[in-house]
Order: sequence, then structure tokens, then C-alpha cells
Amino acid sequence: MSKPLGSPVSCPLGADDCPMRAESQRLREECARLREECARLRELSHTDPLTGLFNRRYMKMALEREMERTRRTGLPTSLIMIDLDYFKRINDTYGHQTGDDALKWTSGVWRKNLRRIDILCRYGGEEFAVILPGTRLQAAKKAAKRLQTALVSSPLELQGRLVALTASFGVDTYTTLEELTARNFLKRADRYLFEAKINGRNQICCQQPETAKLTPEVTVDERSWLLGAAAPPATEMDREKRASKKG
Amino acid sequence: MVETTGRTTSRPVTACLSSGKGGVGKTSLTVNLAYALAQKGLRVLIVDGDLGLANVDVLLGLQVKTTIRDILDRGADPLEAVIYVEPRLGVLPSSSGVPDLANLGPQDHHELGEILKSICGHFDIVLVDTAAGIGSSVLWFNTFVDYNILVLTPDPTAMTDAYALIKVLSRDYRRQNFHLLVNQVKNEAEARQVYEHLSRVASHFLNLTLDYLGGVPRDASVSQGVRNQMPFIKVAPQSKAALTLFRHAERLRRWTTPRAGTHKTAGKAGG
Repeated sequence: MSKPLGSPVSCPLGADDCPMRAESQRLREECARLREECARLRELSHTDPLTGLFNRRYMKMALEREMERTRRTGLPTSLIMIDLDYFKRINDTYGHQTGDDALKWTSGVWRKNLRRIDILCRYGGEEFAVILPGTRLQAAKKAAKRLQTALVSSPLELQGRLVALTASFGVDTYTTLEELTARNFLKRADRYLFEAKINGRNQICCQQPETAKLTPEVTVDERSWLLGAAAPPATEMDREKRASKKG
Repeated sequence: MVETTGRTTSRPVTACLSSGKGGVGKTSLTVNLAYALAQKGLRVLIVDGDLGLANVDVLLGLQVKTTIRDILDRGADPLEAVIYVEPRLGVLPSSSGVPDLANLGPQDHHELGEILKSICGHFDIVLVDTAAGIGSSVLWFNTFVDYNILVLTPDPTAMTDAYALIKVLSRDYRRQNFHLLVNQVKNEAEARQVYEHLSRVASHFLNLTLDYLGGVPRDASVSQGVRNQMPFIKVAPQSKAALTLFRHAERLRRWTTPRAGTHKTAGKAGG
């Protein structure tokens, strides 16, 4: 919010028609505008202060941008939603400061295990998200596996004890074969994360390849008709249908 | 004399030959149909739509300088890229062995559509020879054109693959009219039989009525033509294959003369 501009600039010599007066008034307004702009940019800042990762706001923006890139280039965009398992226990047992340290530790481990083009964000609390530009489902699953392994094999020391953290992962991929908003894409990936949670945590759930759209999808029935010369003779209805379409 | 430049028609007919399965003779039939149409006085353009593994140029023994890739990448003039093998017959070549071109993105397809539209006007009919399979470029070409021609053989796998392509195009891209060209048949009866069979399955499962374009008999002059890099319709115009193909070309020619009741489902390029 801008501060009120206060009283208009007055000339110390009392010359009300001094041209400098208008100029300094203009500068004062310009300063106010810049202050406002600064505040807006601060608000827009993209970093999560604790972990140094991108924050949720940036993540949403980046996801919109990458999905648009998919629509333009045809390259898929993948998304991994992650939630640290039993994180509340860390906070309850060791205190919130240790909890924060664990979040920082995790961020560091994962940052090292992603490509430079991947966008790792702290989505909120102990939830993270990774946007993988130009990445197919299979590769995204591998990336999630890498993050899972890296976390488990990098235990952190909490008050003299080594504790291995685990996390649950939901993986999903957006391709040009479907129409999807960023919001719904997030929701879908979140559902896979939820699935990983209720299936027992420390695992990866994702879209099953069977549901991927562009398989030839010739059903068993169709195939047997096609191959077996087993198609029944044209029914009366078939003939009628054909005749009416021709006519 | 090349008399095609500068003359434009309002709206040429575009058709694409696809198959699902490879090796059923798509390219050969495209080239020979194009020759037949050119002999009937039409200005014909063959677009080599097999963007990853082009072979129209191989079949015709062409020296390709500029390809669709060059037009997309460097903004080369599409009309300059067209090679005239006959005064009325142009070929827009593709580049071989560039796998990334086999699956262009939507933006590339949009540009390719604009390029094709910009040169189509110089021809009466445009025939696209697509790649095999149901890759994104095959689907895109099939939605771009007015007429979808499916090439198949009596081989059961060719039939199944043609059916798969028809199914995807009708279900996901709302294409309704498919014209079957049955290649490598013993006789007309066998071609009919293949058509009837596929037609019945499509009618039952997809609620589609398929159109029968015709059969093309197995003929020694065909393979000889391929080996000599000459279209059989030119080197053996009296062969059985050539004579039937002339008949089918006549069907295609009639598509270019608009009359009431023609079904043209004007293609919308999937962008």
C-alpha cells in the first residue's frame, strides 16, 4: 500500500508558479509508485525463506508455463507431489527447530538429485512438489525413485541419533492428448500422493500406463472378429443403416 | 513447360493415404495415383508425409535439395522445395532419417498446416503419403485433409492395423468417412471380401459406414517399377495394376469437381 502523499509541494520562496514545483510533485508521486511496485514485487518473491526452494506461488506459475509449453511443443510435463512421512512426530519429539532443520536437510538432498531444469518447490508444511519439464511418465517415475532412495540413504543426525526420513510420492504426466488445467493437474497428482499415503507411505504411486490414451485399443472382441473371419453376416439392421446412410 | 506457377484454384482437394501397418504399398499407390491424376489433366502435389523416413523421393529417384524440415527450420520457400517430376506433378519431399521430425509438436503441425495451405492453391489435388502407425503426425495429416484413404492388404495384421487407425481417428478426432483401397489382391472378389469384412466390423463396433474405393491386383510390374524407381503406371500402363489404378484415379478426380451431396468433411488441423 502506498503512503498518503501528504500536502502538496509548496515553494519555499512563495512563488506558486515556479516550474520546479510541478517537477518535484511529479518526482514525489513517482517515488510513491516505485515504493508500491517494490512492495508488490516483494510479495511476488518466489523463494521459500526456510528452505531457499521456490515457494507455492512460484510453483503454480511455473506449472502453468510448463503446461503451455507442452501445448505448444508437444513435449510432456511431469509433476511429482511429495509429502514427508510422519513429520509431525519429528516436530513433537525434537521440537520445531529440529523440524525446520529436517526440512532444510531434505531440500538439500533432493536438490542434488534433480536436473537443473527441474523445479523443486516447497508446497507448504512438509509438502514438496517437483515440476519436470519435457519429461515422460517413465522418466518422472525414475526421478521420484531417485528422490526416494536419496532421502532414505541420507539419514540426518537428530540429537545424537541417526534418523532416516521417508516420503510418499504421487507422480503424474500431462500430455497434449488431454485438456487439463494446472489446478486439475495438481489435484490429480495429489490423488496419487494420497494413494501412496494410504497404501503405507514411503512409496511412489502414479498413473497406470494402461490408462494412457493412445494405445490402439482394439478390443479382444474386435480382434477376434477381424482375424477369425468370424464376423457374423450383416444383419437386417446393418443393411438398413448402410442403405439409409448412403441415401 | 511448367504451367502451374501463378495459377491458383480456390480450394484444392486434399487426401491422405494411411495404413496403420507398414509395407502395404502406400507410397507406391500414392505415387501411381498421382501420375494417373496428372495424366487426366489435374495439377497434383504429392506431400511426403513420412517425416521421419521419407521414401517418395527414393521411389522416384529424386535428387532432393530442400525438404519439409528445411521449410520448418530455415523458412525455406515451400514452392522452391517442390520438385516437378512431370509438368503437372510436383513432389514436396521430406527428410529421411530424422527421427525427431516423425513426431512434430502441435506448434510445428500448425506451421506445417499453414505451409501446406500456402502452396495447395497451385494444385487441384494434394495427396499426402503418411508414415505407418498411429504417430502424432499420421493423426495430424489425417485430420488436416478432406479425404481419408486407408490402404490395406488381405493380410489379417494389415486389416487389424487399418481398423485401429480408423477407430482412433473416428473416436478421438471425429473423422467419419474412410475410403478403403485394398492392395495386393488376387482379384476384385478378394478386394470386395476384405472390404465387406472390415466394413462389417466397423459398422458393428464403431457405427461407421466405410467406403470402397477399390482393389489393386498383385502384379509383377509393380515390384519391377519400384526396383527401377519408375511408377508402374508409366512403365507398364497396360498392366492389370495400372488399369485398375486409372479407374480409382477417376474416383479421386471426381472429388475435385464439386457437386451437391459430396460429403467433404473439411479438415480442421489439430493445433
